[in-house]
Amino acid sequence: MIHFYDLPVFGFFITILAFYIAQRLKKRFNYVFLNPVLVSMVAIITFLECVSVDFDTYNNGAKYLSFFLSPTIVALGVLFYEKFEQIKSNLKPFITAVAVGGTISIITVIVLSILLHAPEIITRSLAAKSVTTPIAIEITKITKGIPSITAVVVIAVGIFGNAFGVELLRFLKIKSSNAIGTALGTAAHGIGTARAIELDPLAGAYSGLAMCINGLITAVVTPYLVQLILQFA
Amino acid sequence: MYKSLVYIFSFLALGEIIKYVFNIPIAGNIIAMILIFTCLKLKIIKLSTVKPAADALIKYMVLFFIPYGVGMMVYFDVLKENWIPIIFASLISTIITLYLTAIIQQKLEKK
Repeated sequence: MIHFYDLPVFGFFITILAFYIAQRLKKRFNYVFLNPVLVSMVAIITFLECVSVDFDTYNNGAKYLSFFLSPTIVALGVLFYEKFEQIKSNLKPFITAVAVGGTISIITVIVLSILLHAPEIITRSLAAKSVTTPIAIEITKITKGIPSITAVVVIAVGIFGNAFGVELLRFLKIKSSNAIGTALGTAAHGIGTARAIELDPLAGAYSGLAMCINGLITAVVTPYLVQLILQFA
Repeated sequence: MYKSLVYIFSFLALGEIIKYVFNIPIAGNIIAMILIFTCLKLKIIKLSTVKPAADALIKYMVLFFIPYGVGMMVYFDVLKENWIPIIFASLISTIITLYLTAIIQQKLEKK
């Protein structure tokens, strides 16, 4: 007998349903911890555990959604170009800030996880934690980590940046709101950028572009940095 | 719409081919992302040619990575065993990144 769960429509349907409900919740209460992706993930996992359906069965249908991640990354290239054209002012200092911040982000998380005795697979999964989720997932496939762990950590980092980034940076005597925006986009990708847009529109533009540039840089350098640092560890 | 979709997938295919032929340790879709960005910048293709499909994909982007998040359920044991390094390494690294990026941007933009 074939169970309903085994049909591809099952995983596809509950993903869309969970996301729809999570988005309604977010609109209603507008609270950063009600991040729709996080809420739908938790809801789907809880549901699957309750009805004892394993991930592979769920993924029978859900994989048709995750397939589109690949063309979406190409689409991000188009978005990055658009953002690039928006800011006409001198980009050199800005790109320096993002490049240094983005590279240090990769190096510090690799070194810290090694110092904290994380197994190598965890270090490989954390390296890309600052960039937008689809890019981070692709990087982790290359660095041979666990993409699912990356996805969760990346979203958590974004929520942290969104919830505490502005207050933290002000406490550390950062006054320029453009600098706060740049930092949020570099360290906390799209979820952090959402907070920068609330701060002011120009800070939001800086944040969005920082996310893009860091996405490009991190995608290219992470596999090499992981290899290099793990060699010495 | 269909034209732009054909373009997006052509770049994706090209990226995968380049990865395959040259054996580069970067995902094919990321090579494609860099290629489409470069082609737009060098005016080899027009923004209006690729924008409709790109916008549609980005609109639904978050939906596409939910299954990866759900995949975490397979790794509950790994997470339970390693939650301390995961949380502390990510947290400290994020704070350093935030501060460093902000301070460089603030110092340089004043000049």
